[in-house]
Amino acid sequence: MRVKKMLAAVAAAGVVATLAACGGSSGGAGGDDELTVWMLTLEGSQKTAMDTLVSDFEAAHEGVTVKVETRSTDAHKDALRQVAGTDSGPDVYWYWEGPGLGGELVEAGLSKDLTAEYEKYGWGDRFGEATLSNITRYGGYHGVPFTQQAEAIYYNKELFAKAGVTAEPTTYAELEAAAAKIKAAGITPIEFGGTVNWHVMRLLDSLLETNCGSETFDQLVTAKTSWDTDCVGRSFDQLKTWGGEYLNEGFQGVSNDESSQLFYTGEAAMAYEGTWFDSQVVDNGMDPANVGIFKFPTGTDRLYGFGEGFYINAATKKADQAAEFLDFITSTEEQKKVVGVWSPISVNTAVTPATDNPLHELWPPLYDAAKGFYLNNDQNLTLAQTTEYWRIMNSVLTGETAPADAGAQMQKFIESES
Amino acid sequence: MSVLERPPAPPAAPRRRGDRRFLRALPYLVPAAGLYVAFLVYPMLDAVRLSFFSWNGFRTSEPEFVGLRNYVRMLTNDPVFYTALSNSVIWVVLSLLVPMLLGLLLALALNRRMIGRNLFRSVFYIPAVFASITVAAMWRWIYNPTVGSLNQFLEAVGLASWQQQWLGDPKIALYSVFVASVWQGVGFSLVLFLAGLQQVPAELVDAARVDGANRWQVFKAVTIPALRPTTAVVIILTIINSLKVFDLIVGMTGGGPAQSTQVLALWSYQQSFSNHDFGQGGAIATVLLVLSLCLVVPYLVRTLKAEEH
Repeated sequence: MRVKKMLAAVAAAGVVATLAACGGSSGGAGGDDELTVWMLTLEGSQKTAMDTLVSDFEAAHEGVTVKVETRSTDAHKDALRQVAGTDSGPDVYWYWEGPGLGGELVEAGLSKDLTAEYEKYGWGDRFGEATLSNITRYGGYHGVPFTQQAEAIYYNKELFAKAGVTAEPTTYAELEAAAAKIKAAGITPIEFGGTVNWHVMRLLDSLLETNCGSETFDQLVTAKTSWDTDCVGRSFDQLKTWGGEYLNEGFQGVSNDESSQLFYTGEAAMAYEGTWFDSQVVDNGMDPANVGIFKFPTGTDRLYGFGEGFYINAATKKADQAAEFLDFITSTEEQKKVVGVWSPISVNTAVTPATDNPLHELWPPLYDAAKGFYLNNDQNLTLAQTTEYWRIMNSVLTGETAPADAGAQMQKFIESES
Repeated sequence: MSVLERPPAPPAAPRRRGDRRFLRALPYLVPAAGLYVAFLVYPMLDAVRLSFFSWNGFRTSEPEFVGLRNYVRMLTNDPVFYTALSNSVIWVVLSLLVPMLLGLLLALALNRRMIGRNLFRSVFYIPAVFASITVAAMWRWIYNPTVGSLNQFLEAVGLASWQQQWLGDPKIALYSVFVASVWQGVGFSLVLFLAGLQQVPAELVDAARVDGANRWQVFKAVTIPALRPTTAVVIILTIINSLKVFDLIVGMTGGGPAQSTQVLALWSYQQSFSNHDFGQGGAIATVLLVLSLCLVVPYLVRTLKAEEH
């Protein structure tokens, strides 16, 4: 009898637990004089910098307190999704600006249109045109830029010299030729971690920009043109070549953190990373004088990267205070104190780039030469499209999908969604 | 009507007693039952309900009733669903074969008197108490294609040609993760079978031996029947745990490469919480529920009937 009861209990509990979903939590706004800000987890210099911005603001605005609540990436996304349409959200939230992420919250009605605030504070003059492009793309003004991250290829100068690569590649053909020379010298040309799909995705995104050009790239990611086209097939074909010839062996089974070790230890000659990588390079013992940075040679004028900004919750009753806070933390005076913490270049065009890390100085010429940015596709595409984009990318790399069929598969998925 | 013709009343009394006992127990049962309904039954039913709606998870958007569209899309247009379904089935079958059998063999070995028996029992059970995410991190390092101990070991013993991209090759990644699962899970079966073996009546074993039965005959005619209730528990738990395998795969491959290690539980989660498609996620969860019931209930009913007899 005891066994029967046990079996029944086990089966019932187990089967039910198999299906039970998880709940989540929601935040809440503070009192009249408290401004609530939600953002990603802050550590080290970023936490110190945010504390500085907040304490400076509180000192300048007597009686007002700012409460910063931080969460990990996924928890932050979940929390914001849950409070959309309620009055329990924050007054201000930090988010990525791309349509697949920030745009989703704009569409869900979480973001307040800040057209009046841009006029009042003159923010249109404070930020550069490229930085503002992701703010104005949804109609009106959604969000205030906080960082403009760019991604490019970091390379080990000694390994380049050892392989006989004497100049930074300026065309895709030169890049592939450099990779071939590096491989011939017995060095891994470039490292990627395949378990986090967005890492290898950087290579594919840049190949699409290279082969399709800026205009078609933008049309592809907004479903305005078919993926079943030659330039997409060519990009996947080149991706397969890179995967088979030039990426670190076994890249599909390691994360980006693991693969980065190959760059730090001088086993891989290149890494496709972003502005945040400057400090990681130094922290992991590399001599910054031995590291160079060049833009992926797409042949277009655009730089690869994405923006992050602060948004005012459409449901907040403290929009004026929130705007005052955002004006304060993006002001020239405050940005001078924190430039280099999140990115070597401030979104405030009046602030000179950071110089505390020698690698920071390599970025301004790349920013200056760029005419806009092409976004990482996990910010361009819808979430479901991104998942499928990654699946196709990986199945091309593992040989399960022919590069020529990849575009058609992506197009089929996009059409099945509509 | 004579007294003798009256219908017998006694059966009502135990029932009333039972009712009273139930009413007395009710206040103690209600809090737990309430929590069970709120946190398990309601989300389960809600997941099934959501499978008939299109909803992105935002409170600002109303779920739209779409009937069976999510199921149709799952069956005809989801490029990952069949991989996830097939992997889940493979995982269940392998789990019923490998860790269960290993657990039984280890239990038989460690049930006899021997030096260091308790030490061995502890050693084999220890992986079962580790969090799956810890196990995943450990095995990820073991499988690392360049610095991992497995490939380095193969090279050291002259078997470099056997080196693999254990988690990077879609043909073997699922089985690589499964090995980690066996390492973690075999201790659990071992403990259950050990407990079951303690219940095997010694007098029956002795009687069988007196009758001239050899070891195999004793095992077949006495031990296995005595282990039947334990085996039922192990099988049901194994099926349920296999169908909801999630954290080990998340930690080791995230379902990749190219979704080759995707399973139903993880795909349902990713559709809901990563792709914000709660209808599609609900449809996959419902398939998982039906599959669980199809596998568990018939076996449960058969075992309970056998118990009755």
